[in-house]
Amino acid sequence: MFIMKHSLNRWSDMIYWPILDLLIWGLTIKYVTAFSSEPQKMIASFIVGMLLWTFVWRAQYEVSVSILEDLWSRNLINLFVSPLTFWEFISAFIIIGILKAGVGFVIASSVAFVLYKVNMFVLGFYLVPFVVLLFMTGWLVGFFVGGLILRYGTKVEQFAWSMVYLISPFSAIYYPLSILPNWAQIVAKFIPTSYIFEGSREVIEKGILDPKKILYCFILNCIYMVLAIFFMRKSFDKILQKGLVKVY
Amino acid sequence: MDILQVENLTKKFGLYKAVNNITFSLKEGEILGILGPNGAGKTTTIQMLLGVLTPTSGEISYFGKSLHQHKEEILEQVNFSSTYTKLPDNLTVLENLTFISYLYDIKNRKERITKLVDLFNLSNLMHLQGSDLSAGQMTRLNLAKAFINYPKVLLLDEPTASLDPDVADFIRKFLLEEQKKFQVSIIITSHNMAEVEEVCDRVIFIDQGRIIANDTPEGLAKTIDTSHVELLVKDGLKRTVEFCHEKGMEYEIKGRYIVIDTKEEDIPVLLYGLMEKGVYYDEIAIEKPTLEDYFLQVVKQKHEGSSD
Repeated sequence: MFIMKHSLNRWSDMIYWPILDLLIWGLTIKYVTAFSSEPQKMIASFIVGMLLWTFVWRAQYEVSVSILEDLWSRNLINLFVSPLTFWEFISAFIIIGILKAGVGFVIASSVAFVLYKVNMFVLGFYLVPFVVLLFMTGWLVGFFVGGLILRYGTKVEQFAWSMVYLISPFSAIYYPLSILPNWAQIVAKFIPTSYIFEGSREVIEKGILDPKKILYCFILNCIYMVLAIFFMRKSFDKILQKGLVKVY
Repeated sequence: MDILQVENLTKKFGLYKAVNNITFSLKEGEILGILGPNGAGKTTTIQMLLGVLTPTSGEISYFGKSLHQHKEEILEQVNFSSTYTKLPDNLTVLENLTFISYLYDIKNRKERITKLVDLFNLSNLMHLQGSDLSAGQMTRLNLAKAFINYPKVLLLDEPTASLDPDVADFIRKFLLEEQKKFQVSIIITSHNMAEVEEVCDRVIFIDQGRIIANDTPEGLAKTIDTSHVELLVKDGLKRTVEFCHEKGMEYEIKGRYIVIDTKEEDIPVLLYGLMEKGVYYDEIAIEKPTLEDYFLQVVKQKHEGSSD
């Protein structure tokens, strides 16, 4: 019980993940039972949703977990007594994230094709803006979590894995937005990824895409990106006020 | 020529002033020791000199350029090693040095790493992970890392703590050699006073965030007028103690020896007095005041001040 008092990890294991699973899979089942007339398209939208989500997850994970790893290994001091700039530090995570996501995507989409006959390229050229925008969302969540980790240290390390999943029920990865209750649909309008997953289903089902979805997602991503980078930079300045060695 | 200039540097944590308006400089090829009791502000000062702690006020400039405005350019020529920091545990010695080398603009990376690995006797540890290294081996790796970019200024926080005496001796000699050969300027903090006396050209003494002395190690030691007279008393230890009480001299009995603290000019009085009391001694050693005596005096005064 004493550990619980100080550990965000224990609380998230106990409350956050069960609720999240319940929401996502509950809503997905609701979708399946309501719209089961075209099972092949439904499978395709599930698999495509799953694969596209890996871009968000990987981009976020790479930024926040890499910062966490530098913190665990007390490496931040070695990095920042060198000429490395804050932006170079961030760029390294972004580049590694793209490479890892690229490799992961090729493997996972090949497996999806072999096992389920789902071809990711069913999205055509839309795949390019989808991937870029999903990366952006992942990075901005990563920067926000990175800022929290820099500011509060390992006390909030659980966010490195869990934070991005907070937007997943509103992103409508496996089910359309219309399945969500009204209040959640309003929230989803402010979640950039909801436009992408909704758009991907539109492409799979109708073969077209409303370009506004790309535009809205891009605008939201840009706004949140500026805020997330600002927050992370402020957090970094804050640890420079406290002293890197002192903090870590 | 001053390679580092620190002016009116202050760091406050809330209301607490960890560093209080300090000013000092470092010349090219000079080794400067920063001494002080625990919590005096040494590490805080070093962190500000490295740019990983933002000063509340004051200015730090290297090579005539402001650290705040030319941080990356300056850090290219500065490096740091501390016993209290370490390199990632999950990388091997070679991987750690390679990764650090990519943070600097080094042309001959492989050669440099090979040379440092040889110099710091890490050749047989190249493929061991950080977690498999002893504290001493990690300290050597940290020092190798600190020299990787041919630094013009080196900041060393307790560089020989946790090292075996022979390795510590090698490090001190290495530092002196680097200073001579390449005119490397070094700032060093250490609790080993003998080490500071051996390697430092000048010492600044910090207490409660302020510089209370700035002199050569010999100069600081000279401010103490108490010498230690060590005697192996063959006959008359009791009379020696009585004599010390009479003259108000402090003493300490160490086995068969007695160590008496007295002013240098009073040594003849002591020896004559002991002769008059019929004290016989086999050995005599007179130790002049050292930097350690200076350090102990400052700490003693601080404790007396705080208990008043």
